[in-house]
Amino acid sequence: MNQFITLALTNGVPLDTLILVLILPIIVTMIAFFRQVVGIKAFGIYTPAIITFALLATNEIRYGITIFITVIIVGTLTRLLLKQFRLLYLPRVAIMITIVGFSILALLIIGGIYNRTGLASVSIFPILIMITLVEKFVAVQIEKGGRAAMVLALETLIISVIGYYIASWDMLIRIILHYPWISLLTLPINIFLGKWTGLRLTEYFRFRQIIKPR
Amino acid sequence: MIQLFRNSRKILGMNARNLEFIRPNNLRRAKRLADDKLRSKKMLMKAEMPVPRLINKIKDVDELENFDWTTLPESFVLKPNRGFGGEGILVVYGKKKNFSDTWIKADGSLIAVNDLKTHIRNIIDGSFSLSGVPDIAFFEERMKLLKLFKPYAYKGIPDIRVIIYNKVPVMAMLRLPTKVSDGKANLQQGAIGVGIDLATGVTTTAVLGKNKLIEYAPGTRLLLSGIKIPYWKTILTLAVRTQEISGLGFLGADVAIDRDLGPVFLELNARPGLSIQVANLDGLLGRLRRVEGLKIKTVEKGVAVGMNLFGGEIEEEIEDISGKKIIGTVEKVKLFGKDGKEIEVEAKIDTGAQSSSIDTKLAIELGYEDLLDYFASLEMPTDLPRANVKQIEEDLRNKYLVGHPDLEDIIIIYSSSGVTIRPKVKLEFDMDKERVISKVNIVERTGLKYPMIVGKRDLKKFLIEVK
Repeated sequence: MNQFITLALTNGVPLDTLILVLILPIIVTMIAFFRQVVGIKAFGIYTPAIITFALLATNEIRYGITIFITVIIVGTLTRLLLKQFRLLYLPRVAIMITIVGFSILALLIIGGIYNRTGLASVSIFPILIMITLVEKFVAVQIEKGGRAAMVLALETLIISVIGYYIASWDMLIRIILHYPWISLLTLPINIFLGKWTGLRLTEYFRFRQIIKPR
Repeated sequence: MIQLFRNSRKILGMNARNLEFIRPNNLRRAKRLADDKLRSKKMLMKAEMPVPRLINKIKDVDELENFDWTTLPESFVLKPNRGFGGEGILVVYGKKKNFSDTWIKADGSLIAVNDLKTHIRNIIDGSFSLSGVPDIAFFEERMKLLKLFKPYAYKGIPDIRVIIYNKVPVMAMLRLPTKVSDGKANLQQGAIGVGIDLATGVTTTAVLGKNKLIEYAPGTRLLLSGIKIPYWKTILTLAVRTQEISGLGFLGADVAIDRDLGPVFLELNARPGLSIQVANLDGLLGRLRRVEGLKIKTVEKGVAVGMNLFGGEIEEEIEDISGKKIIGTVEKVKLFGKDGKEIEVEAKIDTGAQSSSIDTKLAIELGYEDLLDYFASLEMPTDLPRANVKQIEEDLRNKYLVGHPDLEDIIIIYSSSGVTIRPKVKLEFDMDKERVISKVNIVERTGLKYPMIVGKRDLKKFLIEVK
């Protein structure tokens, strides 16, 4: 074990905290890579990162995904329902969070009835994160329209799931604990990404008609 | 494969747009100006640019409560000052008859003062501004749709997006609102983008939404290519001037054409979208690289460089070689009649006819009624054997030409519909900006599609392209 890690552990820093903080740079670099090189946008960098950790904190990833999808569906329906009332932004979001919250509660209870105890016992931290996701969702809906918000939500989910598998990859965790400074390798990678002016992969598709020789 | 690679190198992607063009060229101050519609309007007005007239603005709830609704005109547009993507814009077409506080919206539905108030309250509260910051609502004059665009546009007003870099217009497209885009000229919302040849202002290829190539306006048989945009040079000049005024080095300028006012500047855009490349089927990066580093001193020079570099290449080349203009089989013609009368018609180009002819009705409009009356009163031979035609013509000329100053000649024409004796008059017309001095004969063409035929004798300066 690395000296730095030992030092942290002997001084009472929990192992989980250590792992998460060391893995965070890798997750956010992956998100940056997906945006700049692949062209998958998601809701910025904070939302997919925090959803990744919310997925890690649920007992099983499928429960996390279920909650995520429920939030998005209920969020969309509530928005359509509230549209006619022409409410101001913050009260509207407050109502949506309330309704989404109750829907999640209902989901957990239904899970319990069908003996999915894993769902009901998901800790409060990931649930709260997922519920507040609805604000980001509404903001994007206003800014870019309903369809774009759906696409971005789906992209966020995809990136978060990939992030989940990276962060729970045993081999990576072992390497990180042995060589914690590896995390800092993301700095030069990000400098490279930050200067990258090439086409994104999705743009090759978007502009295929221009690329195709005539 | 190499071709694919080369083509993709010409395309401007998001990364390059942000890092190489927006960042170094559009300073924060200038970007803020572009995002603030009222401030940019003020600035453009100061520089004597044509902009939609500001009717009134509402800054806060107090102003909203004390607002005098009777001061609003019949039709107007309500906008959030920091709105984006066309969100929060309300277009009002007219007042409902006998009501002082109810208006009619673009889709025909009614809107009362109370609805307007709620909408404005939402604007003031920042519902439509990017980060939800408090905003200002303002009313401005509604633009009137140009007749030319009427068949192509659904509800809203089409506009022309021009990308300007280093004082040179590099690419342009016509944006047509559709049913899907709900009358908004925003490609992301499903509007149509039509590429424009910068040299001529004629539309080329079209894209629906973000990347579906189309040829016809949806639901019609109207070709989207070949539309000639009026005031083209003025539009480019306006766009380049805006770059000077705003200080945005890389700019998307939106110009609309009002039926009465002509080109009107709509909006500045510090982060212009990339779909314009699909509409033009050409990459922006290749074009931007070509104007990078050029030293452009005046607006006129910039416009000229853009027009020369990015358009009309194929046609101009042929025109240069032959010295002749290329026209289609149907061409717009501007006729110059008597007493300064000017009439524009579509003429059929007919290489099977010797001389040009115009319809009787058109001749009357051009001021030749008197001549036609005189001609009708003449006594004409009924027996016209082909062998003696020259002799008969000669006789008629000797007899009648002196009788009326407008009568240039009399000819006998054998056509598929029979033999006719026709009067000929001197007539000048413009075709594809080329002045033609012609003698045209006048004949009944009612029921035929085009009121004019341009014959061989007047086509010496032209090449005809058959599509």
